[in-house]
Amino acid sequence: MMLLRLLTWPYVRKHKLRTILTIAGIALGVIVFVGMRTANDSVLYGFQQTVDRLAGKAQLQISSGETGFPEEVLERVQALPEVDVAVPVIEATVKTGLPGQGNILILGVDMTGDRSLRQYEFEEGDESFIDDPLVFLAQPDSLMVTSEFAAHNHLATGGKISFDTMIGPRQFTIRGIMKSGGLASAFGGNLAIMDIYAAQKVFGRGRGFDRIDLKLKPDVSLAKGQSALEALLGSGYQIEPPSSRGKQFESISRIFSIGASLNSAFALLIGLFIIYNTFAIAVTQRRSEIGILRSLGASRRQVRGLFLLESAILGLTGSILGIVFGLLMARGMANYVSSLFGEIYGVAQRVETVAADPKIIALALGIGVATSMLAAWLPARDASQVDPAKALHKGAYESFTAEEGRLRLIGAACFLAAAAVCLFLRGAEGLRLYAGYLSVVLAAILLAPAMVRCLVAALRPLLRSLLPVEGALAAGSLIQSPRRTSATVVAVMLSISLVVGLGGVSNSSYQSLMGWMNNVLNPDLFVAASEQISDRGFRFPASIGDELRRMDFIDEVQMVRTARVRFRGAPVMIVAVTIDSLARRVHPQVVAGDPSRMYREAAAGRGVLFADSLARLKGVELGDTVEIPSPAGVLKLPVVGITIDYSDQQGAILMDRSVFVRNWKDDTVNLFRVYLTKGTTAGEGKRRILAQLGARNRLFVLTNDQVRRFILRVTDQWFSLTYMQIFVAVLVAVLGIVNSLTVSITDRRRELAVLQAVGGLRRQVRQAVWMEAMAIALVSVLLGLALGAVILFYYIGIIREEIAGVRLEYEYPVRIALALIPAMIAVAFLSALGPAESAVRSSLVEALEYE
Amino acid sequence: MNRFLAAFSLTAALVRAQDARHIMQEVQDRARANSQRYEGTLKVIDSKNKISEKRWTYDRIGSAGGSKVVIRFSAPAEVKGVALLVVNHPERSSDQWMWTPALQRDRRIAFQDRSTRFFGTDFSFEDLEERDASQYDYKILGEETVNGALCWKLESRPKKSKSSQYTHAHIWVGKARYVFEKIESFHDGKLIRRLIYSDYQKIQNIWTPLTMEIEEVGRKSKTILNTEKLQYNVPLKDGQFTLQALRRES
Repeated sequence: MMLLRLLTWPYVRKHKLRTILTIAGIALGVIVFVGMRTANDSVLYGFQQTVDRLAGKAQLQISSGETGFPEEVLERVQALPEVDVAVPVIEATVKTGLPGQGNILILGVDMTGDRSLRQYEFEEGDESFIDDPLVFLAQPDSLMVTSEFAAHNHLATGGKISFDTMIGPRQFTIRGIMKSGGLASAFGGNLAIMDIYAAQKVFGRGRGFDRIDLKLKPDVSLAKGQSALEALLGSGYQIEPPSSRGKQFESISRIFSIGASLNSAFALLIGLFIIYNTFAIAVTQRRSEIGILRSLGASRRQVRGLFLLESAILGLTGSILGIVFGLLMARGMANYVSSLFGEIYGVAQRVETVAADPKIIALALGIGVATSMLAAWLPARDASQVDPAKALHKGAYESFTAEEGRLRLIGAACFLAAAAVCLFLRGAEGLRLYAGYLSVVLAAILLAPAMVRCLVAALRPLLRSLLPVEGALAAGSLIQSPRRTSATVVAVMLSISLVVGLGGVSNSSYQSLMGWMNNVLNPDLFVAASEQISDRGFRFPASIGDELRRMDFIDEVQMVRTARVRFRGAPVMIVAVTIDSLARRVHPQVVAGDPSRMYREAAAGRGVLFADSLARLKGVELGDTVEIPSPAGVLKLPVVGITIDYSDQQGAILMDRSVFVRNWKDDTVNLFRVYLTKGTTAGEGKRRILAQLGARNRLFVLTNDQVRRFILRVTDQWFSLTYMQIFVAVLVAVLGIVNSLTVSITDRRRELAVLQAVGGLRRQVRQAVWMEAMAIALVSVLLGLALGAVILFYYIGIIREEIAGVRLEYEYPVRIALALIPAMIAVAFLSALGPAESAVRSSLVEALEYE
Repeated sequence: MNRFLAAFSLTAALVRAQDARHIMQEVQDRARANSQRYEGTLKVIDSKNKISEKRWTYDRIGSAGGSKVVIRFSAPAEVKGVALLVVNHPERSSDQWMWTPALQRDRRIAFQDRSTRFFGTDFSFEDLEERDASQYDYKILGEETVNGALCWKLESRPKKSKSSQYTHAHIWVGKARYVFEKIESFHDGKLIRRLIYSDYQKIQNIWTPLTMEIEEVGRKSKTILNTEKLQYNVPLKDGQFTLQALRRES
């Protein structure tokens, strides 16, 4: 501690800016980690909390994916001796249309028995929360809201609120107000209860329920109850505790979680190089102090410990700041992520609180400190090996020794060999890709000093030709201190490679999506039950399809039913459509299977088509017989074709509508794909459909262009989070450049002062610093663009094999690369303005006395 | 409620005191009628003294555990047409359905829900059932005076084959007229409901309580049912007591 007070504290005080930049380097990594994880976890936690509160005393829930099931199932379940109480549930979210209120979750329940499972009021035995229970049941417009919702919107018993329903816009009457707490706090208090039979009507559920919540008899164990229910209903139903719904949601949104984790790890890696750079410089600058310490008897261990302790303190400070700002960022992001999940996955959830999860905080602290100490390990080791006798010999230690250079090359060769081996290995696809990716990055890091030296040497003539004195000074500075330069270059190179990798993935994703949309998304109009076509809360009766078909300006109507069902333990989207009609109209890219045969077989109900991505993730191949649970039992069908399909982020199973209707006993429709007759414009078709059906039904008619824009908007939102992380990565890299320049100027104060003393102009000094910065940027960008090309290959592989199963074409993001070069040079120039001014404005006398 | 009302319109004939089962059988026999119809006013007074009132018509065919009942709400306007069909069975719990005309839907009241309150009143759905006296075991606990009438105090327990929310009940049967004066229903020793019969009138030779007051103990509310235009042995058809009829007549 004494060493810390005597040596470290004065050094930190003297180099405040650098200390701040170093802390910022680690803080930014931690901000991304804490922000993304907390926002993601808050959304998942909000969903789980809603599930828990809605579940009440329910021990088990029976569902059949999202498809629901016929009413008769309820009586069979209620008659089971193991079951104490079983109640039906319908869940849907609707837009409130009230300012600042967003969506409201409507729970359809049977109020005659539901109170056995759910506590609707705060005070036991008080039923005054419903004005009149019989009126509530008798009138289909009855709604019970929470006291919070009522208070926010100035609603009281007898008040009216309007929602769009499947039978057109309807006004509902508040006939009950739930007191705070428990159930009433589900979905952030934006909860309404309505009679389940009224809910069937307004949400288009026909004579079905979404799920059954149940409580077992006191002497029946969960396992026994579960097996009794499985025996009763067969394997077409999911019989699980309420908590498993949270896991399902987690499983659906795992792509986002993985992406967030990978990117925050990368941000921390970049931070690691900034810290390494700082400590490498600090060790160099404090060689004389270290030498004195060693002469006075300090052991190598003590010196190493001093630097590691410093790094731990910096890491801790950066982590704490990162956690604070990360949590602030999470607050801003949580609702964004929540609405993004709603749009992409069609799952209703609402963020209630953005709270700091102690595990994430501890992990962030651990990662921040560990990253910092890891980064400082090599400089600390160097410091401990300082020879007291040579300690005052300046300069030599800013270069790499020949031995060090050789070891780096050997290491890089080993990592490259490992990457090559990983490329040709078969099996454990994910592992080999991650290993290959890591090997390439490590090889690039090890090769960086040599590459920097070569590139700067190559740049020197260019710099000198631009400005002879300043160019020579800049190039000389970079070449003479490769340790300092290469650490900065590595940080920027990694940032740039991240930009190229993610930008390439984004480009390829858009291209694949556009290709799919061009092949498949060709109806003139889409008639949806919701503005968001991913929302599956409302459904049409099939009769609407018949009405559409009868319209003389409509050529063909395809009825589409989408729903998630459980397939191999995870929720998977089923798309049920009349395959015959689809085959005539769309031409998706076929990955496996004979196009004419696969449609024929699927249309006859003798097979299903798999999205390539889903097939990849689930290990399904052409010809495999898959088992899909349905209320009628397990549906066993062969896979007759594999196509490129982005109906759902994780891919979908396409089946003929007749198969779905037969097995799910559900002929409702989520979406109509409408092809107009020749000569009818989309605008005219839309107007006429709305005129004929709009008044009686809740429907949204979207033109092809609107649907495409919706998909692209959601995709933009998805990638916007990635872009934000790219921004942070670049910011970290910029911090590295500023840090490096600050150090460079401090180190060269005397040199720069001498230059001014012998007649060098301030302008020349400034320009030398600017050129140095821009040279670092150019070298880093060139290396980053090269590394990015390799990283993109691995990203595409990892996305295919590990994350989403999506087959993305490798396409180098040339435009991004071309834009990065001037952008980074400009950023470097701006970063150099401050250090350059500092270089020319410091006292010449002091500078000449330096060292 | 129905079991109490139907079973208690007895003639005032004097019957020699017998054992508990015979007393209850006599109560049931004296109230026996092929059918029954009345108009009822249901008044619920909640813990804050807020009063809500509803009117219904009540039709019953058959008796003593084999009866069928249709309750049809007639006022207020919001509940007009809502109907409840109760089909009693001698050997098991009744089947119950509710019809809501605004939704054009019937819903089955599940057996598990029989202990829940009947639409905010102090009655439970189970209280709407009519059960045969033979479905219970009885014993005489003693004699007490209730509302000025000397009564036998009996204890009834459902036979094991019969499921009920109540583990047992205390029944006060007026010695003079063989009618119920009061019933207290318990679950595991805890008093759940108290029902008091009053305003007895002899209608078509059956002693009939025109007012019943029920209280769910601990809820601080009470429900009063007043009956009017009560008739026995009215011409009703079995076909009127089906789900189809319920839907048709609303």
